Amino acid sequence: MSVTAHPIDLHEAHDHIHPAPQGFIAKYVFSIDHKVIAMQYFVTGLLFMLVGGSFAELIRLQLWNPKGTFMEYHTYNQMFTMHGTVMVWLVLIPLVTGSLGNLIMPLQIGARDVAFPWLNMLSFWLIPVSGLILFSSFFVGAPSSGWTEYPPISIQQGPGGALWSLSIIVVGISSTLTGLNFIVTIFKMRAPGMTWTRMPLFTWATFSTAILNLFATVALSAALLALFFAQVFDVPFFDAARGGSPLLYEHMFWFYSHPAVYIFILPAFGVISEILPTFARKTIFGYKMIAFSSLAIAVLGFTVWAHHMFPSGIAPWLQIPFMVLTYLIGIPTGIKIFSWMATLWGGRIQFTTPMLYATAFIGTFSFGGITGIYLACVPVDLHEHGSYFVVGHFHYVVAGGAVAAFFAGLYYWFPKATGRLLNERLGKLGFWLFFIGLTGTFLPMHWLGLEGMPRRYASYETFAKAFPDAVFWNRFESVFSFFMVASVGLIAFNIFTAIRSGRKAGNNPWGARTLEWMISSPPPYYNFKKIPIVLDRPYDFTAPLPYLNLDEEPDPYPVPSEAVLERPRVAVPVGA
Amino acid sequence: MAVESTFGQPSPLLERAAVEARYHNVDALYEETRDMRLFGFILFLLADCVLFSSFIFAYLFLRASAPTWPPVVNGTQIGRLDVAFGALNSIVLFGSGVTMHFALESWKNLKTRAFNVWIVTTTLLGIAFLLGQAHEYTSAPAGLTWSGNAFGATYFTLTGLHGFHVFAGVCYLIVLTIQANRGVYTGSKYFGLTAGTLYWHFVDVIWVLLFVLFYLW
Amino acid sequence: MDIAIVERGIALIASIIVGATASWQLKNELSTRGLDATATKVLLGLLVIGCFVVFFASINVLGNFAS
Repeated sequence: MSVTAHPIDLHEAHDHIHPAPQGFIAKYVFSIDHKVIAMQYFVTGLLFMLVGGSFAELIRLQLWNPKGTFMEYHTYNQMFTMHGTVMVWLVLIPLVTGSLGNLIMPLQIGARDVAFPWLNMLSFWLIPVSGLILFSSFFVGAPSSGWTEYPPISIQQGPGGALWSLSIIVVGISSTLTGLNFIVTIFKMRAPGMTWTRMPLFTWATFSTAILNLFATVALSAALLALFFAQVFDVPFFDAARGGSPLLYEHMFWFYSHPAVYIFILPAFGVISEILPTFARKTIFGYKMIAFSSLAIAVLGFTVWAHHMFPSGIAPWLQIPFMVLTYLIGIPTGIKIFSWMATLWGGRIQFTTPMLYATAFIGTFSFGGITGIYLACVPVDLHEHGSYFVVGHFHYVVAGGAVAAFFAGLYYWFPKATGRLLNERLGKLGFWLFFIGLTGTFLPMHWLGLEGMPRRYASYETFAKAFPDAVFWNRFESVFSFFMVASVGLIAFNIFTAIRSGRKAGNNPWGARTLEWMISSPPPYYNFKKIPIVLDRPYDFTAPLPYLNLDEEPDPYPVPSEAVLERPRVAVPVGA
Repeated sequence: MAVESTFGQPSPLLERAAVEARYHNVDALYEETRDMRLFGFILFLLADCVLFSSFIFAYLFLRASAPTWPPVVNGTQIGRLDVAFGALNSIVLFGSGVTMHFALESWKNLKTRAFNVWIVTTTLLGIAFLLGQAHEYTSAPAGLTWSGNAFGATYFTLTGLHGFHVFAGVCYLIVLTIQANRGVYTGSKYFGLTAGTLYWHFVDVIWVLLFVLFYLW
Repeated sequence: MDIAIVERGIALIASIIVGATASWQLKNELSTRGLDATATKVLLGLLVIGCFVVFFASINVLGNFAS
């Protein structure tokens, strides 16, 4: 009906800046600004991390003795269930996708906000609602069947299970909406000149994650809706006596929960791809390989779910394709690892705190990934499923991977968000505490698992009789787990003091080249007064900055600021 | 061309539509956001497909692993669903899809009276479908209950989920009718109507699948 | 039994009318461009298929007759 006689006036569309929000509620509580929402996700995620971490410490205290008397066994079951649930859905997803993705992705593509800011705000507020529902289950008996809540046991455990299902459905809706938002944002709101292959790699990672967020999380909602109906209305989806099947739940649950682990790790990969070039002062190796491998991992991630179900009674002929596909998914991941190592090779490396976390990530994530390949092999998995080997594996990739990369991103982008630098000494101390703690806690688990220590057991008395060293190693793990607590505590302290009295950061303390470093720290609410024009990829440190129409004209060859360098600034630009 | 709303009063928004049509002015900001909203809405429909696919997978899985279908309960096999009534109810819903299409076409041609006739017909047909479903639920074959067996579990959950989507659609259509008559949409800016039509078609098409899976297979 | 014949009859006739109308509208839409036009064409096409399904179901060609 509406025929375009004149070409569409892009100038008018892109230059739309809405008026500033007024009042405390609109600015900080119900804000539609992606940066404020990112801060909200960050605070919420960190609070839940403290809660989930406390549950973990209670677990470690129970495991101090083989026949632990620290907790009732039923309470222990609730502890590991809630620890897993909180960490997976209320910490990892809000922190990694919600806070980093929301804060940085729109800035990196030169946009003023996401595509649907109000929906973004709704996505955030569903997280505290979900937490409320989940924690209210403590009043009626928290769920105690593990974060996977398999039926029939999750149906027999009381009302806590139904509250769990409801709570995670709510988180799922939040995640799905974020995925939708980010996909539309990245497709439609990139700055002029920013083609797909000129996008920063963190944006590629966020895009791949958003695909998973949108499509996989709905499958979780379906699984948990079915579970909820089974728990509350006795609908026999999973009751074998009435034609249902417990295996059906496992299929429906893992069809989401495997892509979920890629939701945790893909943004983490993106963070690493941003940090390594900046602190090696060298262009990223294999940009297209890294970008497309993110997509490959997102797509392949949908095809491997049954590797969590090898001993559950699925047909043997079905185990083999899942095994093969799981091996295959190691390939795009390996491509990234080698590309990162090639990025570091020959670079002028500066070990700031984010760089420490990023390089350590390569080590710990590779280690965790390799133990994953061990588990992908069906005969190995039939032996190791349900043992501490699995626990060691996934904590390496999640804590040593996603969480480590999140901390790297935190140290890297904190100056952008707040305009202050975090204290380097405290940061480095926290880094060492974290990785020493990680190794001490999770490395022995591999050995204990191979020797046969089962997971989710409140007492390992029988195992300790056969393997007396188990007591020593469990106590060893418990001691080192407190190192990680100290590390997170240090990070919190660092953040508090930096916000009040940290050194001023300026626009670009690290001398990085992506668009978010071209605006002030913290950015104004509208991000860019003029939408920049992008001419090339951001990672070539020997070329001038590939942008036109920036608000402030920066140094064409950005270098780290004096506050960051230990020594005075060199007169010759780096890379020239 | 007379620029009047349904109730014969001059509508400033419809007047603006006439001006835009005559001078080919395009509101760039609107076009840009409409583009994004449409893309987002299609993504939402695709995600909804995943939701239904998950439950359809559950149905196929349980049916494949059942010794007989429909299952045997207390010694007697549950009867099959009423294909005749199901076919009738289905065509009511598909008819409403066609009437919704006509509603949108009428709006695009600024025929507000025709638009109102078509969208109200769509709404009434949608409500008729829901009443038909209610009748199906209350006259279900003996033994077919939500908590009785896998057949009841999957049938009532899937058709219930679909029925919930139809109900939400009916509510949305009512809101659209009111908003259109209040002049929120113009001849060139009517994304809400486009979205409503796509959603209604989507709900229709899901029902084709459910009808085949539960009634005919 | 009687009411079933009436229901099938109405479904039969209605499916022809609705299917024909939908196909005619689909033919009119074929030349339009854009994401929403494409989505409309796909969905209308599937709706026509639905009318076929109802048509054959109402005359007992489609359907599971095992007892």
